[in-house]
Amino acid sequence: MEQSSQETPRAVEVTLRPFELSDVDAMMVWASDPQVAAVCSWDAYESTEPLLAFIRDAVLPHPWYRAICLAGEDRPVGAVLMMPTGDLCRAEIGYHLARAHWGKGVATAAVKRTVAALFDEMEGLERVEALVDVANPASQRVLEKAGFTREAVLRKYCAIKGVVKDMVMFSFINTDPLVE
Amino acid sequence: MDHDVLPMPESTSMDTVTLRPFVLADLDAMMAWASDPVVTAFMTWGPYTSRDALLAFLRDTVLPHPWFRAVCLGGAVVGAVSVTPTDDRCRAELCVVLARAHWGKGVATAAPKRAVAAVFGDLDGVERVEALVDVDNAASQRALEKAGFTREAVLRSYCVVKGRLRDMVMYSFISTDPLVK
Repeated sequence: MEQSSQETPRAVEVTLRPFELSDVDAMMVWASDPQVAAVCSWDAYESTEPLLAFIRDAVLPHPWYRAICLAGEDRPVGAVLMMPTGDLCRAEIGYHLARAHWGKGVATAAVKRTVAALFDEMEGLERVEALVDVANPASQRVLEKAGFTREAVLRKYCAIKGVVKDMVMFSFINTDPLVE
Repeated sequence: MDHDVLPMPESTSMDTVTLRPFVLADLDAMMAWASDPVVTAFMTWGPYTSRDALLAFLRDTVLPHPWFRAVCLGGAVVGAVSVTPTDDRCRAELCVVLARAHWGKGVATAAPKRAVAAVFGDLDGVERVEALVDVDNAASQRALEKAGFTREAVLRSYCVVKGRLRDMVMYSFISTDPLVK
């Protein structure tokens, strides 16, 4: 996630598109990075074969999993996904970014695009939420800059790599103003 | 059957609130609250209009459930409390429902107190018991607060209850929180 709080002088443009199997090498850049994997539930990938299987079995059939590309480029630099919940009115998002693109506003731009797209595409959606480890302030800033509201710290909410964490709950609801 | 017995300090009732597993014979007692639209106003379910439908719920959901207890007051079944594990092993959700005749007596506070005293030992891996309460349900919010739960947040536009989009208050009780006497 982003580590720098320095404001970018002009807005970063990103596009979101579905993944393809041929994106495996680009995906390997962040999927094999222990610093990216550290805040995720999965372990850093050591070879492309299992990552290819992951794209084929989990990403391609997924209801909403998108590659983050810098404007004018086709090579993904990260991923953003929507995870359905038990209720149609509520969806959770998650995202990861290759470390080379941290601190430049890329994740914030991707999250903004994601929120706009989800409210446009998902019938009955009223709330988009995201959960971030209390110990991950960079990712919290991404959501704040994307217009999310920090609602709470939820204590001992879930386990990441076997360690139970306090998580910060963020939300963006249908009537919140989209941030440019 | 097992009884979780703790003496009640409140002077409003000399009866003790205990929890025990449900049995099929509890159907009529359950119907008393499950068919009451005032009781079920804030619930995503009910009110039940059919004994058969409630029997199916009792048989197929309640009896096999990992932690579903009848709330008993002086030997009568007056409500239910359940703690349901979620997709995350460390987290489970508590629900309390009580027959209207027993509101305002401290039973709605005693039931979650008994539950958190027992459930961390009963459900392996659970460290967090949470409860979601409608923003307009002040009585249930007070009951959980008196039972030692922490009010963590208002979650906006969280779910749809009986066709209406609701803000919900999130409460939690962590395995290391002090039990309220």
